[in-house]
Amino acid sequence: MPLLYPLVLASALFGIGLYGVLARRNAVLMLLGVELMLNAVNLNLVAFDAWFADALHSGQVLTLFTITIAAAEIGLGLAIVLALFRALRTVDVDEVGR
Amino acid sequence: MSRVVGRHWAYVALTAALAIAAAVWAVPHVGDSGFFAWVAEPRPDGPPLPSLSPDLFLLPTSAQLVLLAVGIGLLVQIYSTAFLGHHPRYRSYALVIVLFLVAMLAVVGTTNLWVLLVGWEVMGLCSYLLIGHEWQSAEARAGAAKAFLMTRTADLGLVLAILVIGQTYGTYDILGAQVAAAAGTQNATAIGLLLLVAVIGKSAQFPLHSWLPDAMPGPTPITALIHAATMVAAGVYLAGRLFFLYADSTVVLTTMAVVAGITMLLGALMALVQTDLKRALAWSTVSQLALMLAAVAAGDPDAGISHLVSHGAFKALLFLGCGCLMAAVGSSALAAMGGLRASMPVTFWTMTIGFAALAGVVPTAGFFTKDSVLHAIDRATGRDGGLADGTAYGLLAVALVTAFLTAAYATRLWLTAFFGSAPEGHAKGEAPRAMIGPLVVLAAATFALSIGQPVHLGMGLLSTAIAAAGIGLVVLLWRRGSSLDLDVRPLTAELGLDRPFSRWIPAAVRGVSRTVVDLDDEALDAYPRAGTRLAAGTSRLLELAQSRNVQRYATLMTAGVLLLVVIGVSRA
Repeated sequence: MPLLYPLVLASALFGIGLYGVLARRNAVLMLLGVELMLNAVNLNLVAFDAWFADALHSGQVLTLFTITIAAAEIGLGLAIVLALFRALRTVDVDEVGR
Repeated sequence: MSRVVGRHWAYVALTAALAIAAAVWAVPHVGDSGFFAWVAEPRPDGPPLPSLSPDLFLLPTSAQLVLLAVGIGLLVQIYSTAFLGHHPRYRSYALVIVLFLVAMLAVVGTTNLWVLLVGWEVMGLCSYLLIGHEWQSAEARAGAAKAFLMTRTADLGLVLAILVIGQTYGTYDILGAQVAAAAGTQNATAIGLLLLVAVIGKSAQFPLHSWLPDAMPGPTPITALIHAATMVAAGVYLAGRLFFLYADSTVVLTTMAVVAGITMLLGALMALVQTDLKRALAWSTVSQLALMLAAVAAGDPDAGISHLVSHGAFKALLFLGCGCLMAAVGSSALAAMGGLRASMPVTFWTMTIGFAALAGVVPTAGFFTKDSVLHAIDRATGRDGGLADGTAYGLLAVALVTAFLTAAYATRLWLTAFFGSAPEGHAKGEAPRAMIGPLVVLAAATFALSIGQPVHLGMGLLSTAIAAAGIGLVVLLWRRGSSLDLDVRPLTAELGLDRPFSRWIPAAVRGVSRTVVDLDDEALDAYPRAGTRLAAGTSRLLELAQSRNVQRYATLMTAGVLLLVVIGVSRA
């Protein structure tokens, strides 16, 4: 399989994630955007790992780290959003910032 | 009440102390010889830098002026205790008089031109303050401002003259300049013309004469002081004192003669038609000062100064007497007076002496000194040099006509004030003793000053005849029942000579200032206004970037990173 396919897919995912972070006002959707970007990076790591046929598989190892961190991050992020919602009855970042 | 009076006499005592000090200083210098012909020993030349060292020095003539100034100042101060003693601002008034006298002493008693200038300017200030003493009245304020502005403008002439003297002779000392000029005068025309400007302003000569009549809203004792002993006398004194610097400049002397001729005739004519006693006396001063300047122009400053001294005595007498009349009838208008002879005998007799001296009747001092002046002018007709050809004859003719007019208006004022029928409801009787005392002293001085004056028989007879003609004519008209009110339209309007100063110059100044303000608003302010608009526009643009929206910042950051990537990739 040529390298191009996973890279195009990763770019598309990253772009969508970026768009989500920059354009969305809903805090949950912004967190989803962040997750999409992280996973786009993961896809990149795996793809290059396979492409270089690395003996130590450092790309895959790094991906595992990233997934762990992403899990922790989303847990923390959702907790903040939940606290925010409890306090303000909204998750719109513009409303919150005001 | 007694405390108030006591406080008044404290100021009189202050003036008296000053007068005594000045007298002790001046009396030994009063001699009968020397005068301005005196030339000093050469002094070691100081550096030609302006200094303010007093450099006190008196000539016989200046000693006479010192005595005149402090004497009249003291009499005016005494007079003022009764005339103005209950005025709320009496204190400042009395102290300014003292300052006035000190300034006059500085002008007369120094040989340092810069000290002279300081005294000269302080006198201008004092006259401004005193003329504007009743500053509640708009008339007094206007008169004071006018006197200040006109004399101050002319004072520029003195400043420039001092600078030119310093440049020419390398000294700012009058004696030093005298020594240097003895070897030959230089720049005489420039120095003389500049000095003449200052003298014209200070001594109220044509065309800067109008401030003096307009200074009449000032308190009457002050008018006496200004007209007799200080302010205007300083102009004539300066012209006489520095005569040696321009004595051989025909241009200066001729200009001075023409100015004096115009002014003496003008002043006498104006005095003849005034309906106000005080204003008539003011015009009379203008005319008499011109007579003194005419003597200077004719080459005899000593005659001018001696007339200044005698005029000081009798004009102070007349103004103080005028103050007594004003106190009795409540106005200085001639129409409010009349028939005061019986109710105010002392004022009547002393003022009679004053008017006689003004008219030039023997044996008052006015006759002798006027005779000296006429003689000096007469002598100038027979001499070469000095005045331009024919000027002396013209001046003599004008002076004789002026003498006639002077006798006429003096008689007219005397008759309308003291004779005839009294208007209703006035005549409070004689003025208090503090006011008539000075009158008596001055009347005595008017005779005393004639002692030792030279007599020139031919001119004396001529001027007596002329004075008699003037007096006789007016008395004749009065006997025939004339009211002596001359209502000659252009004369009562003072020939419109004041129009440049009262209308044109203010209008021009106002126009120029309006243009300047417009220019400032429209042209100059455009730059700062454009600056503020630019700054406001820029800040509004910059404000757009600062949205307080984190997402927009992140978007911009992303765009920047993308841009860098695109640039990096395209370069690679």
